[in-house]
Amino acid sequence: MHSTGYIIRFTLIMTTIVAIILAGLFSVLKGIHSENEAIFNKRAILKALGDNLGQKVDDLSDEQVTTIFKDQVQQFSLNMSGEVQENILAEKIDMKKEKKKPEADRTLPLFVFEKEGQKYYIISVRGNGLWDEIWGNIALKSDMNTIAGVSFDHQGETPGLGAEIKDNPTFPSQFKDTKIYDDAGVYRSITVRKGGRKNKIHEVDGISGATVTADGVTEMLIRGIKYYEPYFNKIKKTSKIGMN
Amino acid sequence: MAESTVQTVQEKEPLFGKKERKLITDPLNDNNPITVQVLGICSALAVTTLVAKALVMSIAVVFVCGFASLFTSLLRNSIPKQVRMIVQLVIIATLVTIVELTLKAVNYPIYKELSVFIGLIITNCIVMGRLEAFSMANKPWRSFLDGLGNGLGYGAILIIVAVIREIFGKGSLMGIGLIGAGDNYFINTLAEGSWFAWYMPNNLMVLPASALFVIGVLIWIQRSWNTKLVDIS
Amino acid sequence: MELFNIFLKAAFVENLVLAYFLGMCSFLAVSKTVKTAFGLGLAVIFVLGITMPINWLITEYLLSETGIFGMDLTFLRLILFIAVIASMVQLVEMIIEKVSPALYTSLGIFLPLITVNCAILGGSLFMVSREYSFGESVAFGLGGGFGWFLAIIAIAAIREKIRYSAVPPGLRGLGMAFILTGLMGLAFMSLMGIDPAALMGTK
Repeated sequence: MHSTGYIIRFTLIMTTIVAIILAGLFSVLKGIHSENEAIFNKRAILKALGDNLGQKVDDLSDEQVTTIFKDQVQQFSLNMSGEVQENILAEKIDMKKEKKKPEADRTLPLFVFEKEGQKYYIISVRGNGLWDEIWGNIALKSDMNTIAGVSFDHQGETPGLGAEIKDNPTFPSQFKDTKIYDDAGVYRSITVRKGGRKNKIHEVDGISGATVTADGVTEMLIRGIKYYEPYFNKIKKTSKIGMN
Repeated sequence: MAESTVQTVQEKEPLFGKKERKLITDPLNDNNPITVQVLGICSALAVTTLVAKALVMSIAVVFVCGFASLFTSLLRNSIPKQVRMIVQLVIIATLVTIVELTLKAVNYPIYKELSVFIGLIITNCIVMGRLEAFSMANKPWRSFLDGLGNGLGYGAILIIVAVIREIFGKGSLMGIGLIGAGDNYFINTLAEGSWFAWYMPNNLMVLPASALFVIGVLIWIQRSWNTKLVDIS
Repeated sequence: MELFNIFLKAAFVENLVLAYFLGMCSFLAVSKTVKTAFGLGLAVIFVLGITMPINWLITEYLLSETGIFGMDLTFLRLILFIAVIASMVQLVEMIIEKVSPALYTSLGIFLPLITVNCAILGGSLFMVSREYSFGESVAFGLGGGFGWFLAIIAIAAIREKIRYSAVPPGLRGLGMAFILTGLMGLAFMSLMGIDPAALMGTK
């Protein structure tokens, strides 16, 4: 049997050694971690562009992703009334934290990708799935109505069911060429419909066995895209004035 | 448990003799952590949808299991008995955190997929079970081998289950498409006049429950052929 | 009402064993008879109910940037959580031994086993990622424990019955337990996504 003093000494020494090792490793790797995370998020944003990027995102090296972001992507941070915030870098916005703020105080990231004279507006949305949060990036064409592509991700949806929003490429591919406004200019967003889409312009097919996740996607799109409406209206107005 | 009785004091221990080899091979079949000792099931269910994930998980467990056994065995005479469990857990948790931080730096996408389950290696009873049953009473080198062996036995089952689940559930192996709808699969079921137009991937295999079925059947196969393991009770 | 909702959800809809497949090892190893399963189930409820709030306090006041140390210490989270769980289990063991030696002997080895039950650590990690408040974490802990308790009793009862059936020798015992758990998991999927609050009309 060991004495109480020995136990305390042993525990203290052990805890100190462990804490020093871990703290050291953590601070050494911290830079690489945040760099990896940034690249990971940038890939997700570029993935929303689909074929319009011209290359497959998975084939790009980390350096290429950074270069594309530097050369072809402009970043804007918007407040809820659609005004550009100068001092915030869009890629640094943490959507998870923004989602917890009251709606009026949120900051929205916007990425504008330009290729061969075509502009694509990539916006970020976040909502709730069945178990946990889901989020996505949506690329809109320069008319700010037609969807060029989407990419989704999730925290913990069931593999084979809800997780298909990310794992099954057919689900995001359906969003291509859908529209968020109808012909009269009324905001419709995109609905994920159980049992197959009836309307090719505003609906996509659901995933069997994942109704809650699908409803979560619908809700996230309706709410999330609308946040950007003030900004889009402003751009549309200025471009019209420009034409006159 | 059987090994702890095998251990005898020898004048000169060979570095890699018959007994040492047995420490590695035994957990692969006769004393497999998953199918015989029923340890470490939780993570086996979650990470076996894709072979790549199972592979990373196996490597992590082999590393943690081997080194946790080594360190516990080195400290076995100075660990106070009253706080034995906490000390063991701290050793495991430290190693797991090292694995987690390293993986986050080396392969971020895989880290994203596995993050919760890497954390759960701590409570993977394989590691804890081997520390209690073996390392606390054996010399460092033998403990290290025992840890490695059990990690490998766990990894072997994990990879078998993952291969079955990925082929039938996703129609691919290590991310390379074998059969499915699209050009990127070896057999494209959508191709004109394809013989495999009827084929649909079995989505059941992607659900966690299917891992239980696969392991159940593996146990059946193993016990039919290794009849001394059959449950008589 | 909100707390009761979280309790119900944790116990039935998001059952730690049958929906998340956590705490499998002891679930499969200790479910041979209803009697032992009952003891282990009670102990799990107790430990989950205690460790969850303690770990909540640790995350909130020790590890976060707004806590006592004012630093982001999340890399120490796993170690602290598991240390809390291990010491709680040892504490519970000592208390039960003093207060009720009869219960202590009937629980026997199963008590220390709880330390490595991943449902406990998993529960704490879920609590962090879902950002529960203090009250919610207590409700989640108790609910999760209760769900685990019900699940282990259910499988133990089935396993007691199935002993009288003609199961192929290779499948007897463990093999059958795996397949049964898989079937129960599939059955539980039908509860997925149910929101008790909506059923009770409070939402």
